[in-house]
Amino acid sequence: MEHTARPYWYALLALLAALLLSVMVGSVFLSPSVLAATLWAALSGTPTDDLRVSSTIVFSLRLPRTVLVAMTGAALAGSGAAYQGLFRNPLADPYLIGVASGAGLGAVAAMSLNWRYDALGLMAVPLAAFSAALLTVLVVYQLARSGHTLPVTNLVLAGVAVSSFAGALTSFLMLNSTGELRRALAWLLGGSALTGWQPVLALLPYWLVGLGGLLTMGHALNVMQFGDEQAQQLGLPVVRARRLIIIAASLTSAAAVSFAGIIGFVGLIVPHLLRMLTGGDYRRLLPLSLLGGAAFLLFADVLARLVLAPQELPVGMITALAGAPFFLWILRRSRQQPHWS
Amino acid sequence: MLEVNHLTIGYNQTPVLKDVSFRLQEGEMLAVIGPNGAGKSTLVRALSGVIPAPPGSICCNGRDLTQLPVQERARVLTVVPQARAVPPGFTAWQVVSLGRTPYLNWFGQISRADEVLIREAMSRTNTLHLAERMIGELSGGELQRLLLARALVQATPLMLLDEPTTHLDLQYQIALLNLVRGLVEQPPQTAADNGQRLSAALVVLHDLNLVARYADRVLLLVDGVARAFGSQSEVLRPALLSEAFGIPLEVMRSPNGKYPLVVPRMA
Amino acid sequence: MKRSSIAIVLTLALTLILAACSPAATPQPTPTASPISLIDGLGRSVILQSPAQRVVSLAPSNTEILFAIGAGAQTIGRDEFSNYPPEAAGLPSVGGSMGNYSIEQIVALTPDLVLAAEINAPELVKSLEDAGLTVYYLSNPADLAGMYNMLLTVGTLTGRRGEAESLVANLTVRAAVVEQKLSQVSQRPTVFYEIDGSEPAKPWTAGSGTFIDTLLNQAAADNIGAAMGMPYGQMSIEALLEADPDFILLGDANYGVTPEQVAARAGWEQLRAVKAGRVLPFDDDLVSRPGPRQVEGLELLAKLIHPDLFK
Repeated sequence: MEHTARPYWYALLALLAALLLSVMVGSVFLSPSVLAATLWAALSGTPTDDLRVSSTIVFSLRLPRTVLVAMTGAALAGSGAAYQGLFRNPLADPYLIGVASGAGLGAVAAMSLNWRYDALGLMAVPLAAFSAALLTVLVVYQLARSGHTLPVTNLVLAGVAVSSFAGALTSFLMLNSTGELRRALAWLLGGSALTGWQPVLALLPYWLVGLGGLLTMGHALNVMQFGDEQAQQLGLPVVRARRLIIIAASLTSAAAVSFAGIIGFVGLIVPHLLRMLTGGDYRRLLPLSLLGGAAFLLFADVLARLVLAPQELPVGMITALAGAPFFLWILRRSRQQPHWS
Repeated sequence: MLEVNHLTIGYNQTPVLKDVSFRLQEGEMLAVIGPNGAGKSTLVRALSGVIPAPPGSICCNGRDLTQLPVQERARVLTVVPQARAVPPGFTAWQVVSLGRTPYLNWFGQISRADEVLIREAMSRTNTLHLAERMIGELSGGELQRLLLARALVQATPLMLLDEPTTHLDLQYQIALLNLVRGLVEQPPQTAADNGQRLSAALVVLHDLNLVARYADRVLLLVDGVARAFGSQSEVLRPALLSEAFGIPLEVMRSPNGKYPLVVPRMA
Repeated sequence: MKRSSIAIVLTLALTLILAACSPAATPQPTPTASPISLIDGLGRSVILQSPAQRVVSLAPSNTEILFAIGAGAQTIGRDEFSNYPPEAAGLPSVGGSMGNYSIEQIVALTPDLVLAAEINAPELVKSLEDAGLTVYYLSNPADLAGMYNMLLTVGTLTGRRGEAESLVANLTVRAAVVEQKLSQVSQRPTVFYEIDGSEPAKPWTAGSGTFIDTLLNQAAADNIGAAMGMPYGQMSIEALLEADPDFILLGDANYGVTPEQVAARAGWEQLRAVKAGRVLPFDDDLVSRPGPRQVEGLELLAKLIHPDLFK
């Protein structure tokens, strides 16, 4: 009686619409007939010369970007839902424990080193971002740990402190590196510089493992909503569950951030809206957040391509514009609801 | 059934519980009483494994509870917490179903048999009609009964209740304790019960008259020390209680002569 | 005085001869039989079967170079900030603010060459390459000689080698004239070049390793920003007061900063340059873009700093 499939269908439908829109819309207008002809040419394997441009745009540019954006949205919203459950706070998001600031530091450090132009050099930025993000989370985790327990307040405080430190280092590096300011800024605002399938393939293993792991934690998160004490009395190994959730969520969000740029508020808005619509059961909320996050970020990305066309805005700018007011709204709401203190 | 031997618990060296020993027999209800800060909640937390206890200090049917993994311990002992702040986004049914946690895998998939247990526990606690309600909307009393249902679903031989009557109207206080009493007093278990039937309860209570009405045995804690442990007549004595609670108390018989009544002595 | 004027006449004559000999007279691109193969600034080998006829420029400097060597008609797209020459503004823009270019737009223009510059991220080059485009990445030059090489390279890529050579010859002469005039300078004035004075207590300036630093040196002036030891940075007003430069050049004049505003800044009224009225607006595009107009920038700098030599 509690497992109605309807929300899943709505989320799938939204995702499908977003995927379609994302392939159809861009700074270059392709009419539906051209799109259809391009798709047909690709499916039937009969490429014609006059469709060369449109098929490059659709298959080499829009499709990989669409997939990357969808994966990123799913990763951010999924880990956002998990962090909110973990911290029992609707304002928690994947960046709370240092993922974003760590990734930013790694990326800017790699940029300031001016790697050679080759496959490894080009992957240096996302790889450095990823390692730095994981390292930051590890430092936060170690600082927050007290004995065998991991108090949530410690985590948040350590996250804030370490994030500020990494942010300051990032600024320092940016000021001292030549000519990389714009590049770094674009990256920090959530623009993915790399196109094509390379970042998608690089993200895929972490995405699968991380989100797969998170999807098994729904019940544990439900139990944890009642506090550590009750969770343990209900037979949940709280410390182990918490560690697993942190690892899975950090792995996913760090990888997404590293390959797609820093994109804020997705992990906040999507799970929160879904929680309002379908309740707080994490067994449902987690898969729905993946679908909803992917759809949401795709829509945001379509907007980013259209608002100032032919210029493309960093998608993080769009999510921040939508997210910041939303954040304040949650803040007001949660103040009226004493349970979520 | 439950044996507590020389249990000492200290936060930062200062012991909160000092050398506490008592026994709880099958079919019995044990009331833990004492003034605020005596260590009653600490006792519940130590017994349920939230606070680590020295090995061998807590045994149940010969098994050392302190050495059991969290999940297995939760199949032996369940706790009914006080109905305080609850996460609002769950339905009553979902909350009760969480009691099955010690028997589920990570996915938390509820089976048909689990659903039968949940339904039964909810109808026993008179909460089945609330199943689809969000718990954020429930009254303190409804919530407390729901938490009892959750504990029943956990299907343990031993139940700890931490001041379960605090948020309840008088009629529900009686109903809840009647229910626990009835469960504990059921005839010896059959093979069909599979060993998962409540057979003893430990209740932390403020109201000494409820203690007098329901408890088989009473543990009086004062400053972390087991000041007295025994039957009602052994513990509910004016001198002992007056000293423990710091006010003069009298113990009389109820008008029907069946139960003691504890009242403050008026000048 | 007499000898220098003879030199000028000689060099001017040389320029005219060079210009006459160069194929600049023929406006058609030089046809080349063999493919063009060059190594670009990222160390990539770039091969063109024939000179590029459809070029997209990703930087203002590249656009200026293309138009200056007569390849303006072969240029079909430009970045958002390309504003010179004015006719460049008529070309379709492919974006570029915050480093975000529309790769789709670039692909849709079907260029046979995309001309990138050092302000473009290597990732962008890779993306364009993955989309099947030919990209040539121009590194920033260290000095005017390096800039001349850029012009020649773009000339080769677009089949305008001849025009590029004559332009280089022309520019070489103009720079030589400036050098000649400045050869008698014994006292090099000190200059503070302001890039951004939004924070009057610590304005941004250019240090060593920048075009402006090189050009100031060539204009027989000392850049006090060179003391920072880094290319770009913020210099405190205290350090500025201590250095007390002879001139303050306002590279941010393009953004509306005026000498009057500078004089009104706290502490700045004590500066010698402010008192003497030697706070001068300057078109930053002339020195910050590695292109042919840098020689104009050099001439202008020389004139502003040594007005008596250019009467």
